[in-house]
Amino acid sequence: MNLTPAMASVYIPVQNSEEEVRVVLDQLPRDASDILDILKAEQAPLDLWLIIAREYFKQGKIEQFRQILEEGSSSDIDEYYADVKYERIAILNALGAYYSYLGKTETKHKEKEEYFILATQYYNKASRIDMHEPTTWVGKGQLLLAKGEIDNALQAFTIVLGNAPDNVPALLGQASVEFSRGRFSESLQLYKRALQVYPGCPAAVRLGIGVCRYKLGQLDKARQAFDRVLQLDPDNVEALVALGIMDLQANDSVGMRKGMERMQQAFEIYPYCAAALNYLANHFFFTGQHFLVEQLTETALAVSTHGPTKSHSFYNLARSYHSKGDYEKAGMYYMAAIKETNNNPQEFVFPYFGLGQVQLKLGELKGSVSNFERVLEVYPDNCETLKALGHLYTQLGKTDKALEYMRKATKLDPRDAQAFIGLGELLISSDTGAALDAFKMARTLMKKGGQEVPIEVLNDIGALHFEKEDFESALDNFQEALGDGIWMSFFDDKENLKQTGVSVLGYKDAGIFHRLIESGHSVDVPWNKVTTLFNLARLLEQLHKTETATFLYRLILFKYPGYIDAYLRLAASAKAQNNLPLAIELVNEALKVDDKNPNALSLLGELELKNDDWVKAKETFRAANDATDGKDSYAILSLGNWNYFAAMRNEKRNPKLEATHLEKAKELYTKVLTQHNSNLYAANGSGIILAEKGQFDIAKDLFTQVQEAASGSVFLQMPDVWVNLAHVYFAQGNFALAVKMYQNCLRKFFYNTDSQILLYLARTHYEAEHWQECKKTLLRAIHLTPSNYTFRFDLGAVMQKSSSSTLQKKKRTADEVRQTVTEAENAVRVFSQLSAASDLHVHGFDGKKIQTHVQYCTHLLEGAKVHREAAEREELQNRQRLEVARQAALAEEARRKAEEHRKHQLEKRKQEDELRRLKQEEEKIQRIKEQWKSNTHGSHKRKDRAEDEEGDGRPSERKRKKGGKRKRKDKSSRARHYEDDEEEVGTMDDHNEVEDGDANTNYNREEENQEAEEPVDDDAHDLLAAAGLEDPDADDDEVQVPASVARRRRALSSSDEEGKMMESQPNPSPQKENSPERQEESNVEEEEDADLDEEAN
Amino acid sequence: MKLAGLKSIENAHEDSVWAATWVPATEDRPALLLTGSLDETVKLWRADELDLVRTNTGHSLGVAAVAAHPSGIIAASSSLDSFVRVFDVDTNATIAVLEAPPSEVWGMQFEPKGTILAVAGGSSASVKLWDTASWRLVSTLSIPRPEAPKPSDKTSSKKFVLSVAWSPNGKRLACGSMDGTICVFDVERSKLLHQLEGHNMPVRSLVFSPVDPRILFSGSDDGHVNMHDAEGKTLLGSMSGHTSWVLSVDASPDGGAIATGSSDRTVRLWDLKMRAAIQTMSNHNDQVWSVAFRPPGGTGVRAGRLASVSDDKSVSLYDYS
Repeated sequence: MNLTPAMASVYIPVQNSEEEVRVVLDQLPRDASDILDILKAEQAPLDLWLIIAREYFKQGKIEQFRQILEEGSSSDIDEYYADVKYERIAILNALGAYYSYLGKTETKHKEKEEYFILATQYYNKASRIDMHEPTTWVGKGQLLLAKGEIDNALQAFTIVLGNAPDNVPALLGQASVEFSRGRFSESLQLYKRALQVYPGCPAAVRLGIGVCRYKLGQLDKARQAFDRVLQLDPDNVEALVALGIMDLQANDSVGMRKGMERMQQAFEIYPYCAAALNYLANHFFFTGQHFLVEQLTETALAVSTHGPTKSHSFYNLARSYHSKGDYEKAGMYYMAAIKETNNNPQEFVFPYFGLGQVQLKLGELKGSVSNFERVLEVYPDNCETLKALGHLYTQLGKTDKALEYMRKATKLDPRDAQAFIGLGELLISSDTGAALDAFKMARTLMKKGGQEVPIEVLNDIGALHFEKEDFESALDNFQEALGDGIWMSFFDDKENLKQTGVSVLGYKDAGIFHRLIESGHSVDVPWNKVTTLFNLARLLEQLHKTETATFLYRLILFKYPGYIDAYLRLAASAKAQNNLPLAIELVNEALKVDDKNPNALSLLGELELKNDDWVKAKETFRAANDATDGKDSYAILSLGNWNYFAAMRNEKRNPKLEATHLEKAKELYTKVLTQHNSNLYAANGSGIILAEKGQFDIAKDLFTQVQEAASGSVFLQMPDVWVNLAHVYFAQGNFALAVKMYQNCLRKFFYNTDSQILLYLARTHYEAEHWQECKKTLLRAIHLTPSNYTFRFDLGAVMQKSSSSTLQKKKRTADEVRQTVTEAENAVRVFSQLSAASDLHVHGFDGKKIQTHVQYCTHLLEGAKVHREAAEREELQNRQRLEVARQAALAEEARRKAEEHRKHQLEKRKQEDELRRLKQEEEKIQRIKEQWKSNTHGSHKRKDRAEDEEGDGRPSERKRKKGGKRKRKDKSSRARHYEDDEEEVGTMDDHNEVEDGDANTNYNREEENQEAEEPVDDDAHDLLAAAGLEDPDADDDEVQVPASVARRRRALSSSDEEGKMMESQPNPSPQKENSPERQEESNVEEEEDADLDEEAN
Repeated sequence: MKLAGLKSIENAHEDSVWAATWVPATEDRPALLLTGSLDETVKLWRADELDLVRTNTGHSLGVAAVAAHPSGIIAASSSLDSFVRVFDVDTNATIAVLEAPPSEVWGMQFEPKGTILAVAGGSSASVKLWDTASWRLVSTLSIPRPEAPKPSDKTSSKKFVLSVAWSPNGKRLACGSMDGTICVFDVERSKLLHQLEGHNMPVRSLVFSPVDPRILFSGSDDGHVNMHDAEGKTLLGSMSGHTSWVLSVDASPDGGAIATGSSDRTVRLWDLKMRAAIQTMSNHNDQVWSVAFRPPGGTGVRAGRLASVSDDKSVSLYDYS
């Protein structure tokens, strides 16, 4: 036999001889039975068995390896080699280690278990031979480690190390255990010791050191360790992957490239390393090679059992599908990834984020929220997550929470334009000012960053400015949003499209656009600009650039014939110009597009109402209500108003019907209020009903609140509530406040052009007995609305009333009486004109009735003339008397002066006398002295005061007492009206008339009262009685007929105003554009906006 | 072209000023401004200081319209009591008192040669023509009434004539009514030529272009000023910008501009080439009822003047150049 030193061989001693059989290890037979036969036949020592089996293993001939070892551990062997302990144990341990490995690598659960059981059996058998054998314990420890029973594994290794502290395998095992428990520095110590004890140990030990150092953050030392591993074993995949990961994490392009090279190298050496596969997949994901991603990750999944690695693989796979738009699959894999981390976001958070995104796309909002929330547990300051949650909570209606998150996102990253946009969108409905700030911030950020500002943002900014009545800024933003287009020609003066003669009338004529195209203009309207263009048109309408607005609406319709709102705006425009047929035609065009469009139906109903088509209007309102399943407040409100008008319109009031209608109206208003408790129009409506029922204080509170709430938005113009408040003040007798409120309303909302409110004002002045103000107010009303003869009638009535009341005064000046005569003359003239005009049927007053007024006033005038003469006579007499008195006074004065003078003289003389007397007396005394004889004069009485200083007195001016009595009576009669209706609804008639502001009726009534009670003079008696008798009937039947219908509709509540509010047609406000995710929700918002706006005008 | 405020008289009248017109210059004096008010007076003012020349009384119920004869010698004022008072401008002597019951009196204008005074007759649905020599009613131009008025039709939409305007050559007369229609008459033949459409709300003021007798401007409560071809019956254009009723419209003597007064308290100047408002005067604080350009002529007054009067009781004068 030749010895070939190059080849390793073993020699099997031949039994009972000196010979040996040489077995060349490189040339082991394919069939292990051959060699087994020899081993058995020659009863070869067991270590030879082991050597040969190991050799088979090295050569990858696992089956042969197993065959030999199983044979070598059979019961025959046990018997035969009973005294050979160590070798038997070694064989068993080898098998145990083999099955441990199989169990560890097996992915199928059942097989895995079986392998572990086999491994356990072999180790147990080995232990039975010698329970102190350290290698067995080490093996057991490894097995337990593989099974994940860390604590038991620790025990096993500790037993070994207790006896032999330098047992390298046990040290490595222990290190492994500590690593698994996350105690990296302990693990590192153990690896180091193993290396000290056995410096030549395999590269894997250094790998352990590297990984520990990596985990401990000692990156440079880790890198050294991995490099050393590769020096020792250039094909060590783990080291390559580890270094690759570290390179990739360096996060620069050089590192990336190097990292990917290492990963590729590892992949080439060993294509089944899951970590390498994952990282490669990750790379290809970013380069967009999805096919490779899937291939790699699927392989990784197939070869790995390691939870985090698998999670990573699933995550890669999910991301790939996610980016391809296959959300179902992506969601599934994200969930798988999450499952692999045992639902612990701290371990690997990305799949939660991905899943959240996918669920958002799939509309599983709640799931999405909970996943994003888990992300926040790990990264509470992650802006993307905060924003996503902000949007989600918005959609779920939890605005507060949404706001909280969005605000936090903008605070964390004040340069994140998207976050500000999100915040702005959230605030639009609650705080327009803050929303505007947020959008502006976003715009600034994007401009700074050189980004193009999205049209939606500019549109929203424009719309918010619009709402705040900052029309200039609104215009700027809309223009910026729209960019170039035909609309720009309206804003520079170079081209003048105004010459094109656009009007609503020709809305069907597309010729103008064709002509524009022919002349080289582009009439394109990109779809994403339609909303902004519409808003621009709305703004121009607000700025009263009606032609331009009309052009834009028509342009929109030319390009997008289904754009209902444009039709409705055109219709509203036609209606504003009182072209009802055209408005109706336009609404019908809109209804052709969508015959259930509630806005179009509501507008149609409004138009029909204006056309006095009551029945039709009601049907249309009902249709509008049905079209929205009774959820559209506007439709319900319209119906409510309809009922209210219906209650008020009937000339011959039917109390029962009226009550029914009122009740129905109240019910409908209340319904709206339950749906939207801040609906001002419903609140206003409820207030009206309360006022109708006489609950003025509650009504007043309600109106005041509505008035406050309605201030501040351009889309919320509610003159009605001002009028209603004024009506309540009026009804409560607070005339001064009522006057103020009517005047403010006129000025604030109507440029003083509403003659109806002037009529209310006149009525208030009348009640307050301010005849001149009343007259002036009526004259203004006539001047504004010359064709309304009610005002003329009322004017006549006021002058009649004012002159008769002057005549009843006990004392009046001639001037007053003269004025009264003029007043009466004017009254006669006004009534005569009305009388003459009644033949032409230009107004509906009854000729006879007017004639009565003419006669009465003529009579009044005659009386007044008499009075005037009397007064003038009296005046003359007065003047004469005054003259006499004046003369007398003058004479008296002269007399007094003369007297004074006389007295003065007298005094003077007296003094002289005195002096003389004294002198004489002195002389006398002298004389007496001489003669001794005395003589005295009587003393003089002295008057110090002139008795007649005060004279006769001027004619004292007597204060004329105002007709206090009459005033009280008027009041009481008014009070009576109100009391009546408070007492019982049945007599509401009276009450309503009062509230109607139906001036003439009441004037007449009061006049009648007054006349009956205080006849002016005897001559007038008959006529007055006639008028008095006639009046009551006339009031109810004739007088009101023409004039009052309109007013009645208006009634206290200015139902007309309500009319106005409803008239005001779908007036969709600037709509707010919405990001696609918010689309659905935003539609709702839009509708609500639209509601308000519609009502607003 | 532009307007520049010259002078404003606050409380020019004791109450709302409703009417204004210029009385052309005569040999003895320059043109005067004539205003009428709710305070029942008519006042004469001398430009440019707006010195009050005289206050005429005698009207009742508010003066709603004033008109001046092209000679500058006589003028007319009317009030809501439907009397028209014709008087000598310089002496205030009453020349005639006109009434045509039951017709009311609204807008008035003398024919450019001065032979006829046209008066808008309100509910009589007609324009009354008065001979200025005899002061007799010589003609009534009626506008067509709707054939079958709807019973539900209340007060405001009936035919009711509010405003009148003569074409510069005196051949045509236009009148505006409450329902927004404008009728154009051939005066010589007393014949209605046609109705101009475009407004559906009251037309309170009309004026022909002084340079093109075909062109008629109308101001309406719908806030628009429409430009019509009065012969061709077509709407040439529509100008918007006022935020409330357009109460008065007047054309500049050069024909290049028009001025409007509105309930929105502003006076606006419109460039007819651009068909756009080029200037807005906001000096009034209530409805501007009338605007009037001063007619050319007179000694040494070449400068353009515009006057405006308002509910705020004031009268304002502007330089127009």
